[in-house]
Amino acid sequence: MSANKDNLQFRIITLALLMVAHLIAFSSPDTLVAHNYSISYSTFDTILIGSEPDYPPYCIVDEDGQPDGFSIELFMAAAKAAGLQVKIKIGIWEVIKNELADGKIDALPLVGRTPEREEIFGFTLPYLKLHGAVFVRKDTKDIHSLRDLTEKKLIIMKGDNADEYARRMNLSEDIINTNTFEEAFQMLANGEGDAVITQRIMGLRLLENMEISTIKPLDIQLPEFRQDFCFAVKKGNQKLLNQLNEGLSVVIANDTYQQIYFKWFGPAIKEELSTEDIVRIALFIFFPLVIILVVLWVLLLRKEVKRRTRRLRNEITNHKNTWHELTLKQEKLAASEDQIRLLLDSTAEGIYGIDENGDCTLINKSAIQILGYESDTEIIGKNMHNQIHHTKVDGSPYPKNECAIYNSLIQGRGAHVDDEVLWKKDGSNFQAEYYSYPIQQHEKVVGAVVTFWDITEKKRTEKELIKLTEELELTVKKRTAELNEKVLKLDKSQQAMLFMVEDLNRITAELKNERRKLELSNKELEAFTYSVSHDLRAPMRAINGFSNFLLEDYADKLDQEGRRYLDTIKKNAIKMDKLITDLLSLSRVTKADLVYTTVDMEQMATRAFEDMATTNEKQDFNLKIINLPSIKGDVTLLTQVWQNLIGNALKYSSNSIEKNIEITATDSKNEVVYKISDSGAGFNEKYKDKLFGMFQRLHRDNEFEGTGVGLAIVKRIIIRHGGRVWAEGEVGQGARFYFALPKQS
Amino acid sequence: MDNINQVEILIVEDNPSDAEMALRAFKKNNLTNKILVVEDGEEALNYLFCKGQYATKTKESRPKIILLDLKLPKINGLEVLKEIKGHPDTKIIPVIVLTSSKEESDIIESYQLGVNSYIVKPVDFEKFVEAVRDLGFYWLLLNQLPRL
Repeated sequence: MSANKDNLQFRIITLALLMVAHLIAFSSPDTLVAHNYSISYSTFDTILIGSEPDYPPYCIVDEDGQPDGFSIELFMAAAKAAGLQVKIKIGIWEVIKNELADGKIDALPLVGRTPEREEIFGFTLPYLKLHGAVFVRKDTKDIHSLRDLTEKKLIIMKGDNADEYARRMNLSEDIINTNTFEEAFQMLANGEGDAVITQRIMGLRLLENMEISTIKPLDIQLPEFRQDFCFAVKKGNQKLLNQLNEGLSVVIANDTYQQIYFKWFGPAIKEELSTEDIVRIALFIFFPLVIILVVLWVLLLRKEVKRRTRRLRNEITNHKNTWHELTLKQEKLAASEDQIRLLLDSTAEGIYGIDENGDCTLINKSAIQILGYESDTEIIGKNMHNQIHHTKVDGSPYPKNECAIYNSLIQGRGAHVDDEVLWKKDGSNFQAEYYSYPIQQHEKVVGAVVTFWDITEKKRTEKELIKLTEELELTVKKRTAELNEKVLKLDKSQQAMLFMVEDLNRITAELKNERRKLELSNKELEAFTYSVSHDLRAPMRAINGFSNFLLEDYADKLDQEGRRYLDTIKKNAIKMDKLITDLLSLSRVTKADLVYTTVDMEQMATRAFEDMATTNEKQDFNLKIINLPSIKGDVTLLTQVWQNLIGNALKYSSNSIEKNIEITATDSKNEVVYKISDSGAGFNEKYKDKLFGMFQRLHRDNEFEGTGVGLAIVKRIIIRHGGRVWAEGEVGQGARFYFALPKQS
Repeated sequence: MDNINQVEILIVEDNPSDAEMALRAFKKNNLTNKILVVEDGEEALNYLFCKGQYATKTKESRPKIILLDLKLPKINGLEVLKEIKGHPDTKIIPVIVLTSSKEESDIIESYQLGVNSYIVKPVDFEKFVEAVRDLGFYWLLLNQLPRL
């Protein structure tokens, strides 16, 4: 039963495959050509095919040497169905394969389809699927996978698809080719190789025929060596291929295939198609198709359902909207009335409406409150003028025809009033401000709306404000007056200042003028000094010089007295020259600008002594200079001071036996006092004021020569330095001269 | 002066007494070179640059030394000095300024203009003679001018 079932499955699959093949064929241009040929297939042609002698149970020869086997029988049946007569030629595989390639034979009944062979052959539908196997001797232990074959010696029939497969997959380097598999198995049995690779069923049959029991197939899967077996023609022989395909289809369809199959393989072998294949085919062809169809159908259904659902939903939404709008409108209407009422009641201003007669039609809460009522029922329908507007502020009645609200009714114009009173329920009144506007309907005044509020507080504030403003104005006026007064005073003092400035400017101008004059006279003085130094001395030189010439050239003509006269003339001329020199240095002291530097007074005094003293004096004098601090001053002028003072000390000590000069200093906070003492002639204190005067002398010329200018120069220099100068002394007891110089220049 | 081209010493001095004393001082020092005395700055420049009354003078003849008083009529001594030292033909001639006082500020300016030396005209004639002797020896006898 299971065999039948398998067979049925196989047939179904084969038919399906054929259908698919046809579908594919119809879609290619080749098919049209094939179809043309197929029209003429009823003509009986004879074809020559090749067959192998020992490929059981597919291709073999029987005891009579006639070709036999499953493939041969199938081919013959298919050829017959296709109207072909067949001649069979026996040959080894390698030979008949080449003969087909060369066109020497027309077809082969059993060719495994491989990519290599498709280059040279045309293949019919596959009618068998054959699996390969690795055959080894039963005692072989070291081959468990294809990888273990790498180092082994393989024996394969030359040109067999096993050979092609082994070389394609590079199973081993070492492959021995035989002409037939019989030969190969014999070699394996003899131990001349390690394994034979061939088609499993054929291998088993061959071993059985050869009665070899020492060889077995391994369970190793050869996925690349699962062969589809077909009839083959020379490539391009489309006509024959089509005929064979037709024939094959026929024998499969009319059970001939099944009968031949049973004859050769029996029910036990179910090699051709495994359940796995069927499942795979089902998985890959039928299920996807079914699923696609189902999916399409489901999609269509869903689409339709969606479309209808949408339509229904739209209708529902429309109905809902309409209903909602209606509800909203109703609510709005109710709400707007409430809103208006709320608005009116929430307003701080009092609002009421009147009809054309002035009767109250509407009044808000504020109005009721301001007017002192409890509810609108007390007022609605009442004449508002009579109710709240009947009397003027002065107590006189307020006639309706004067009322601004009435007028706004009659004239249809708005009115604004803020200087009237309104009357409360309790008979009191309050100052009010109000607007009255007519209500118009169809261009006709049907009433008015009055807005009012209590302005008592506002009026009071206004009054206060006015009062405050007045007070402020008064203050401002007062302050302004004060300010003006101050400004006036300021103006006056400014005026005074201006006068002062004018005076100052005038004085400055005068000063400038004076200064200019002074500068001018200074310049004149300078010119004068220059003139004195130059011109005044020239005659002196002439007097002296020519006296000299007289003494030299005419000495023999002069007696002693004459020569004395000439000497006196010469001496006086020289004295005059000295006088001029001193005068010049005095003028220089007055004129020159002071250049302040730090002066080393001790060094300066020492040098002055060196300059002033003659060689003899330097020997004779006992000079002491003790600790003179440095001070800021003009080097040239201070040198002159020391020279004059030391010169004096030397001069006035010349007649004394003791010749001492001592120079010391006293350093105090603000000044340094320098002192120079000598043991010379001294002076009478009575005349000490005259000491520093110009041309003043306390000694006669025959005692000590001099011009009376030296100390005057000293005084001027010290005074120009901002210092003081003075002297002490007694006749015959020496003199002490002091000068003080400030530390800050 | 017989030949204005043979002048060796030029004295520019307006005071005839001073001029005479100077001449006497040279004489006393046995400096008997040919001396020309001119009395103002203009005449001095005319002489040096062969103009006016000295137009006939040859340019090649130059004095060996010039004694120049500063205070001079017409063109003063400093201006004369500036001309002398500013002209390539004359700037090489040594110029000795005669001054009345060594304190004069003119001395500084004289040096700035390139004066070679100065003599203070002392009242004491003996000292004047000494000064002339010293300078005369140096500038006339020792100091050799380069040939132009």
